[in-house]
Amino acid sequence: MKIFTSLVLILFAIGTSYAQTKDSTEIKPVKISGFVKGEKSKPIEGANLVIQGTIDGGTTDSTGYFEFETEKTGKRNLIITAIDFSEKKEPIEISAGKDLKINISLMKTVYVTDEIIVTASSFTSGENSKVTLTPLEIMRIPGADADLYRAITTFPGSNQVDEGSRIAVRGGEPSEVLTILDQASLYNPFIFDGDNNTSSYSTVNPWGLKGINFSSGGFPAKFGNVLSAVLDLQTYDIPKTKGMFAILGLANAGLSGVWVNKAGDFGGTFTAGQTFLKPFLLINHSDAEYSPEPTATSLGGTLSYKITKTGFLKFYADYNSDNIGIKSLSPTYDGFFTGKSKNFFTNLALSVAPTSVSLLNLSVSSSLNNRKFGFGNMNGNNDNTYAKVRGDFSLPLTGTIDFGTGAEYEYSRYKSDGTYPMYFYNLALNAPVFSYNADKNTGRFGAYAETRIRATDFLYFIAGVRGDYHTLSQNFNADPRFSAVLKISKHSFIKGATGIYNQYPTLSDYIMSFNNSLKPQQAIQYILGYEYNRDNDFILRIESYYKDYSNLVSQSEYGFLYGSDGKGFARGADVFFKVRLKPKFNGWISYSYTDSKRRQTATSPLQSANYDITHNLSVVGTYNLTDYITFGMTYHVSTGKPYTPISGSIFDSAQSAYIPMMEPFNSGRFPTYTRVDVNAQYIFSFFGKFAVAFLALNNILDNKNLYSYTYNADYSEKIAVRSNNNRIIYFGIGFQL
Amino acid sequence: MKQKLVFLVLLLFAVSTFSIADDFSDAMLKAKKNLKSAMDKSDEKALIKVRGEFERILQLKKDVWIVYYYLAYTDYSIAATYMEGQVKDKIKKYTESGFDMINKSIEINPDFCDSYVLKMNLNFNRWLYEQDKMNDIIAASTEAEEAAKKLDADNPRFHLTLGVSSYYTPDMFGGGVDKALESLNKSNDLFKTRKEKEEYYPDWGRDMVNGFLAMCYIKRDKDGDKEKAKEHIDKGLEINPESGLLKVYVQKLYDEKYKK
Repeated sequence: MKIFTSLVLILFAIGTSYAQTKDSTEIKPVKISGFVKGEKSKPIEGANLVIQGTIDGGTTDSTGYFEFETEKTGKRNLIITAIDFSEKKEPIEISAGKDLKINISLMKTVYVTDEIIVTASSFTSGENSKVTLTPLEIMRIPGADADLYRAITTFPGSNQVDEGSRIAVRGGEPSEVLTILDQASLYNPFIFDGDNNTSSYSTVNPWGLKGINFSSGGFPAKFGNVLSAVLDLQTYDIPKTKGMFAILGLANAGLSGVWVNKAGDFGGTFTAGQTFLKPFLLINHSDAEYSPEPTATSLGGTLSYKITKTGFLKFYADYNSDNIGIKSLSPTYDGFFTGKSKNFFTNLALSVAPTSVSLLNLSVSSSLNNRKFGFGNMNGNNDNTYAKVRGDFSLPLTGTIDFGTGAEYEYSRYKSDGTYPMYFYNLALNAPVFSYNADKNTGRFGAYAETRIRATDFLYFIAGVRGDYHTLSQNFNADPRFSAVLKISKHSFIKGATGIYNQYPTLSDYIMSFNNSLKPQQAIQYILGYEYNRDNDFILRIESYYKDYSNLVSQSEYGFLYGSDGKGFARGADVFFKVRLKPKFNGWISYSYTDSKRRQTATSPLQSANYDITHNLSVVGTYNLTDYITFGMTYHVSTGKPYTPISGSIFDSAQSAYIPMMEPFNSGRFPTYTRVDVNAQYIFSFFGKFAVAFLALNNILDNKNLYSYTYNADYSEKIAVRSNNNRIIYFGIGFQL
Repeated sequence: MKQKLVFLVLLLFAVSTFSIADDFSDAMLKAKKNLKSAMDKSDEKALIKVRGEFERILQLKKDVWIVYYYLAYTDYSIAATYMEGQVKDKIKKYTESGFDMINKSIEINPDFCDSYVLKMNLNFNRWLYEQDKMNDIIAASTEAEEAAKKLDADNPRFHLTLGVSSYYTPDMFGGGVDKALESLNKSNDLFKTRKEKEEYYPDWGRDMVNGFLAMCYIKRDKDGDKEKAKEHIDKGLEINPESGLLKVYVQKLYDEKYKK
């Protein structure tokens, strides 16, 4: 009882004392006033000031002035906040009866965590606000044919391969570009790929992607076994709506749909498409002869399940096939090149947040690709099989340091059989052949660790290292990488990156090697650039790069085995200038200068690489005439691609065929490549549903661009193989169902 | 003895908690009143001041979802003052800030229907400054709409928002006056019986729904629509005599149409 009485007395005493203190220290209100300013002493309107732990405070007017009264005294903290500015805590001392004047400066909040800012050489799209390329832009780029890969070639540093969807980046080979889809490697997302004189098309649907990040160099350690560039794609976790959309065009028809359950935790998507070129060829009077006429089928979809508030389980599957026969000429055989391929890709991905700040992604993927081809006495049947398991984990260590790590194992198998000409210069049907039968497989273990550090509000860098072990060649490589960005003003940055990049040769290369002795091909990259970016409405980016290649797959001087004696370099500069005048105009100019040389054998001199395209310029513009009608135009010009000329021939009487006499490797060049494409889109209502009609005119000036040269039987006459992309018209309609 | 001691400590804790709660409720009601007044006048400067009031309330109670809701709603209202002049950088600034605030509110309390209704409205603003993200805007709006519908399909502000959206969407894209009237009339009916759980919970929209109903009738202009428009203008002004929407905008539309 005594304790209880004492406690009541103590509490009474505290209460009385508190009341007395309150009376003695808060007698007369004190006025606190001043100005809040930002960069270059510019007044900040709407800044909020509050004495910590109270609601006493005020808000600034348009001149940055504030004033408020308080009865609090003593040492206090004044907290100042404003939209777009970092919060500031200012210690103040309030004396009774004495007004206080105080001026405060705030610093702009620096958001440096987006990939677009921290990674040199990258073009990013996605849900964040730093978007360079949107799905809508992909659809609207004239000549891109709504193809993600073709759209990317309108950005600097990348070239189309034979007007198709494969990309060659900064003087490198197309095989040096890796596509990643939700952690899985997507090795063959193309139809009509590798067929003679035919353009390939990609099978990736840009509308199904929540993020697109294309990096033409300097990418971080999480990406392995790739030399030049990475296209990192992320699909939507779960559909957000329900609906179906159909497309009917001159050469194709497609149906796609999305569905999500009422609870929003389970959903799926599907796409189905059929390509049929007959009406297209009829209207466009193509010079090419086809047998069979090109057809392609695609079918794919996703199933997603939200397992927790932040966790997803997602299954992705995609199947596509194509069939084509195109009349081709050669000195010893005139007939149809036939190609047939089937691809099947699956990926099961799990994404969970083990804690409120960390993220774990796991995936298992597989890919099967079969390709059959034939021309003259050459007939091949190739199977590529890939399977991959991958895990990535990331968490912030402190407020300014993020840590990421991950590991992967990839299995690949290459199986090939067929007949090939005994003499490379004789493809006649009755010419001698040899049978070929090969089967090889390998595994690759890879692991990486990297940190992303915000050293100050103006300096941000990523440092990482990865290691890969190749089971077939028993080689191990370690690749350190570093990139940094320095913010020098509100909208401008200096970016740099350097690192070692390794990529193991293909299994078909290992088949041609002695005792699987090929080393990983290596490129050491150096990148330095400047970017001015005003809210993606005005972008100027200038970047220079140097790639030092070594251990490239090389040919033997005298035998037919492959070695690792190739070396070379690629150097150049990219300029990108984009202007968006909302809501009417969107356009960009991209220019690349490239100097790419390689050595083909251990002793040969450095010669032009296959994609040593010195100058490459693209000008793209789209204009919204009204909210419903859009026009676009693309102008593209580039230095012709190198090729190896043939200067004459020697008659081989045993074969009754001529042996071509080659000039130095890649010492010739095709004529300058030029093309102008235009398009128009009209959005309207179709039986009360959303619909879009589109019209495209590709190569409107009908420029005679070349794929390659072929020759007559004795090589005395050079015959240009023209691109099939003469002036062509394409139209179609897409509508909601 | 021990029980008495525990009781006393609990009592003191309860008293101090009630005291903070009272301060909080008072401050919220005061700020809410100031917000309404600033909104009626479409006074950007007054709205910015109110925003400061809500920010300061967070000093009393940390991480209260309803305060974040009001910060988002004030941001949305400030952005709305720039609509007529199409000042896109300001619309973007306050809309994006609104998203930050409403996302914080939803993170703390994911079950409050009005948060998603506000998110639907914030997404409409994005059409003004980032039309190129059409796909994303539609997906985000649909996601918010589905969430709001799931939580409280009888929320009158949800139907009001659907009605406003239909009013501004051309017929050919699934909008139009008739569709708007359907949603607005439902909203109007639901407001008649609606009672919010707390006095400081959002209760906006009663005057606004009458304003938009009047706008629909003025736009449709069928037989009897003139009278219906007048009826809703009067009803709206009866609910809120200071409504800027009704006094300045809708009344002007009505006069231009019928008083020539």
